[in-house]
Amino acid sequence: MSLTNVKEYFTPSGKDEVLELLQTYGDSALIVAGGSFVHGLDARDLLIGIDALIDIKNIGLDEVRNTSEGLSVDALVTFTELKKAGEIKDRPEFGAVRDALEYPPLQIRNLATIGGNIASACPYFDVPTAIMALDAVVQAQGPAGSRTIDLQSFFAGLFQNALETNEFVTGITFPQLPARSASAFIKLESNANDLAIVNVAARISVDDAGVCQAARLVVGGGVAETPVRAAAAEALLEGSTLSEETVQKAAEAVGTELDPMSDHRASAAYRLAMACTLTRRAVRQAIERLK
Amino acid sequence: MKKLITLEINGELTELSVEPSESLLQVLRRQYGLTGTKRGCDSGGCGCCTVHLDGKAVYSCMVFASSLQNRRVTTIEGLTGDGELDPLQTAFVEKGAVQCGYCTCGIIMTAKEFLSHESDPDEEQIRHAIAGNLCRCTGYHKIVEAIKTAGSGS
Amino acid sequence: MTKTTVVGQSVLRPDAYEKVRGGKGFPVNVTLPGMLHAKLLRSPYPHARIVGIDASEAEKLPGVKAVLLPEDVPQKKFCPVFFVPTMAASMIQDMLILSNTVRYTGQPVAAVAATSIEIAEQALELIDVEYEELDAVFDTESAMRDGAPRLHEAAENNIAKNPVFEFGDLEAGFAEADHIFEGTYKTQRAHTCYMEPRVCVVDCDADGRLTVHSSMQHMFGLREKLAFALDLPDSMVKVIKPPYIGGGFGGKLDIGYIEPIAALLSRKTGRPVRIEQTRFEDFISTTRNPIEVYLKTGIRADGTFTARYARSTLDCGAHATHGAEVIMVHGMFGILLTYRCQNQTWEGRTVYTNNMIGGGYRGYGSPQGCFAVESQIDEICNELGFDPIEFRLKNAHHEGDPHPFLQGFNLTTYRFEDCLRQGAERIDWTQRTAPDSKQGVLRRGVGLGCQPLWVSGCVGFPDIYEHSGAIITMNPDGTANLANATVDMGSGQITTLCQIAAEELGLRADQVRMTYADTETVPFDAPSHASRVTYSAGNAVKAAAADAKQKLLEVAAIMLDTDAGDLEVREGHVHQTGTDRKLTIAEVVTRAESPFVQMTAEGPMPTTIAEKGTIIGVSSLAPPSNPSPSSVEFVEVEVDTETGEVKVLQAVFAHDVGKLINPAAAEGQVEGGFQQGMGYALMENIQFDAETGTCLTGDFLDYKIPTAVEMPRRIESIFIESNEPTGPFGAKSLSEPCCTVPAPAIANAIFNAVGVRVKELPITPEKILAGLGKL
Repeated sequence: MSLTNVKEYFTPSGKDEVLELLQTYGDSALIVAGGSFVHGLDARDLLIGIDALIDIKNIGLDEVRNTSEGLSVDALVTFTELKKAGEIKDRPEFGAVRDALEYPPLQIRNLATIGGNIASACPYFDVPTAIMALDAVVQAQGPAGSRTIDLQSFFAGLFQNALETNEFVTGITFPQLPARSASAFIKLESNANDLAIVNVAARISVDDAGVCQAARLVVGGGVAETPVRAAAAEALLEGSTLSEETVQKAAEAVGTELDPMSDHRASAAYRLAMACTLTRRAVRQAIERLK
Repeated sequence: MKKLITLEINGELTELSVEPSESLLQVLRRQYGLTGTKRGCDSGGCGCCTVHLDGKAVYSCMVFASSLQNRRVTTIEGLTGDGELDPLQTAFVEKGAVQCGYCTCGIIMTAKEFLSHESDPDEEQIRHAIAGNLCRCTGYHKIVEAIKTAGSGS
Repeated sequence: MTKTTVVGQSVLRPDAYEKVRGGKGFPVNVTLPGMLHAKLLRSPYPHARIVGIDASEAEKLPGVKAVLLPEDVPQKKFCPVFFVPTMAASMIQDMLILSNTVRYTGQPVAAVAATSIEIAEQALELIDVEYEELDAVFDTESAMRDGAPRLHEAAENNIAKNPVFEFGDLEAGFAEADHIFEGTYKTQRAHTCYMEPRVCVVDCDADGRLTVHSSMQHMFGLREKLAFALDLPDSMVKVIKPPYIGGGFGGKLDIGYIEPIAALLSRKTGRPVRIEQTRFEDFISTTRNPIEVYLKTGIRADGTFTARYARSTLDCGAHATHGAEVIMVHGMFGILLTYRCQNQTWEGRTVYTNNMIGGGYRGYGSPQGCFAVESQIDEICNELGFDPIEFRLKNAHHEGDPHPFLQGFNLTTYRFEDCLRQGAERIDWTQRTAPDSKQGVLRRGVGLGCQPLWVSGCVGFPDIYEHSGAIITMNPDGTANLANATVDMGSGQITTLCQIAAEELGLRADQVRMTYADTETVPFDAPSHASRVTYSAGNAVKAAAADAKQKLLEVAAIMLDTDAGDLEVREGHVHQTGTDRKLTIAEVVTRAESPFVQMTAEGPMPTTIAEKGTIIGVSSLAPPSNPSPSSVEFVEVEVDTETGEVKVLQAVFAHDVGKLINPAAAEGQVEGGFQQGMGYALMENIQFDAETGTCLTGDFLDYKIPTAVEMPRRIESIFIESNEPTGPFGAKSLSEPCCTVPAPAIANAIFNAVGVRVKELPITPEKILAGLGKL
């Protein structure tokens, strides 16, 4: 286990300090927020060569705010805190986030942070799938300043994000979505404390006539190295009145865009079938929430 | 390199010298002899290590001790300040919810936090609240009854 | 049957108060001054020869106090199982503490003792082992083939044991059959998942005497095995009884590697040595063996069995350990003896592979058999239109029948029919509908599974220890101390035994206290296993209490100037029957313990010699029989036909218990057993990498057990009291069937819901979906 070889645990009190430490340690540093994923990574030998842990809990990034860009969630906001935020609780467009936050056990919700969860780039997590359906973007800070990264670019591969060595995640932003939007998220798991075998987030935005203006269908779990947007399936929903038949076709189309893996949890065939089934159910649920 | 930190454990301010990778669970058991918090898996899967961090239930096996400067930790030993049993503890005993007892304290700590913001919860809510705590002896049945009793009484 | 006042009550567990406050008594908390910490180096290869080990760098690391290599351990092969004599002929002695031959990935090959766990771990990385990899086999078929790598010299085709039982004339039986059913049923490797890890602290003193603390289920077994492995007489090893342990379920019924290794390191260093396994190490230590059962049954048109043939293949992994006994219990109680049939043949094979070793686990081979038998009966009933309850009753044993296994005993109390009928009523069995009549995405079904025959202890089994003993000491305050070697692993053994003693002595349960014990101070007791504690240890405790009671009455008789035969105990008093004359028990004990002449205010009060002496009762005996309980589980499930997910809605468990000692504790056994049986049915599976043999499910993220969310919202227990005459206050046993019957009941309920028969556990959503033709 590499964790016992870690030499330093830093608790910087501001962004600048974090950047300095990243400059010094580069790839041998790991940013830690809640820290709920670190030991799991270590147990699977995915933390080789880490000399320093940089704990960013004290740098003051812990708010949920309405801004002109949309709803901004700072990196250190925990799942429990996000669950309580008014917008998340009440607005139909955040249904997927609400659903995703229900799954983890209490002890994880209290510790895990949005920033840490996203930065982990773990395709078996729930929140990434959910927020991708809402077109969320990542805010990152580097020595040159801050930048915005869209999620599809951000999730570069299995446990790989698009950050430069000297950058870290400061938060995510949910852009304003069209007025009549709703989303839902469903996770398939073996028991109530599990990573996803497959998960699906669906978001639909409709006009006053009920015609779908925008659709997002995101599949995560063991279906790829990152969550996947099923664009072809989305295209089938867009412009339609979201009839039962159309939803079914879109759900089936999701299957054609995925190349899932087989492992000791489930076969590729099962994951494929479940991606379609969960898509259908998630879209139906989102439609319900529009009402 | 070891760090010196000051934190509060069960209402007492204390100073601690920790290695970077040490977990709160290790520190509680080894440096304080607070053996009520237990290791079942060391990976956030069983809940036997659950304690309160600033009043919130967390897996102490995944909390870095180095992150605890000025934080407040409560373990099962600090659940009640005066030697009396918490209604949850009494309910667990009286409902027959304790068998081997290894998971018991972790579940009590989880339930304690849960009941602090959920009065008179129903069975479904209770089951979801303790989904992060495993028990191999009881089948959870009497545990749920005990939490329900404590929840409706308080 | 006389009315009882303490037995039969849901007395609160005395250990519960301490456990809700933290629980100091767990072996994992034991620390001794100067204690060292040891870690085990484990093989990354499934089959290899160790060509060389260089630990010189490890030895130099500051803080390292000793290193143990294969050359440092006694070369005496042993069988690690606690409850049999070490060299028992029916078991297989094929293990060494550390060996130069590796037979499974994760097998310990060296150990280091250091001043901290971290230093010990670092030291492991400095040990250089040169392995010569050998071909490995991971399944029994391949292992038995000619030309397969031979894992143990003594086992041709890697077959460690090959028992065969034949009754009657199988051929004639099948010839007579109107219908024949065949099928192959597979069960998986599962883990007990005791929450307290396996841990021990062993202290070797200057004379070479060992004092041992361990989280285990059998003090005397540990003593015997450890003494043997280290070439010591038993009397040089003292095992301390833990106040309680954090679960066992059969998974702590053998010396793992940790006790002998800790002992040798302690001997080397002159300091106590502690070893605590990580959860990953626990997952690869001891499991329920997977068994494949081929079952062929012949029945007449009226549904009675004419012939039964079964062949069971058990994968015991690298060493036989429990596999040599599990196969026997599986064959007898899992298959042959379950129902009446004159013509039966069963063939069992315990087969070596390069998989991990097995251990004990609640049910001990019977769940694997029960799944096969009860599934096939369900298939027969569905195919031919029999009612599942009537079919079973047609073939069931009857009360009063000779015991099918134990010579010279009868099924004196046997209420299988009551279990079936009462359970059926409670779950509205007659409201069941056929699978093809169901509609909708979510479909419900009801199924049943039985364990018609089981044991209360081990009387009648060759080579298995079965005797217990106890010492009851009365205190002048009127309470009693109970010293007994039974380990409480959570099932409530302490409470049960105190209740039995209290009932016998006329005390309240809280007036009997289970005290300190070790292997030097109490009589032998067999382990906490085989559903034996209530019946066997309870029998001994009752006898010891009766012995103490007799002496109490004799002293009281002198005090009351009457005969002991006129006296009885009740509510903390000794009463002269039929009169108002009585004494408190405290008074009597005080009298017995007081000086020969007591100085009182009224002057010197002489007492007689005959009254003097601590009132102690002692017993050490085998129980009189091995009565069979009987269990039935009814389960209702709901299957999502789009995802294959199964929700268990409710369970009704009916059990012929003899006499209920503690209703709440008994319910706890049923509910906890259901969690294990349900996990076994639906989600648990220890899996390995097909090429390297590395365990893929070494934590709770990957090895799934039911949480509170997956459990059925209703679990009801029906206890039928038949008052077994040989049991303490009429009791038989309870614990294991609670874990055995859920899986077949769930499998049969799934069939009733969606018409899919899955014959391989666990029944995952994927298998159901495949069975529905949707994958």
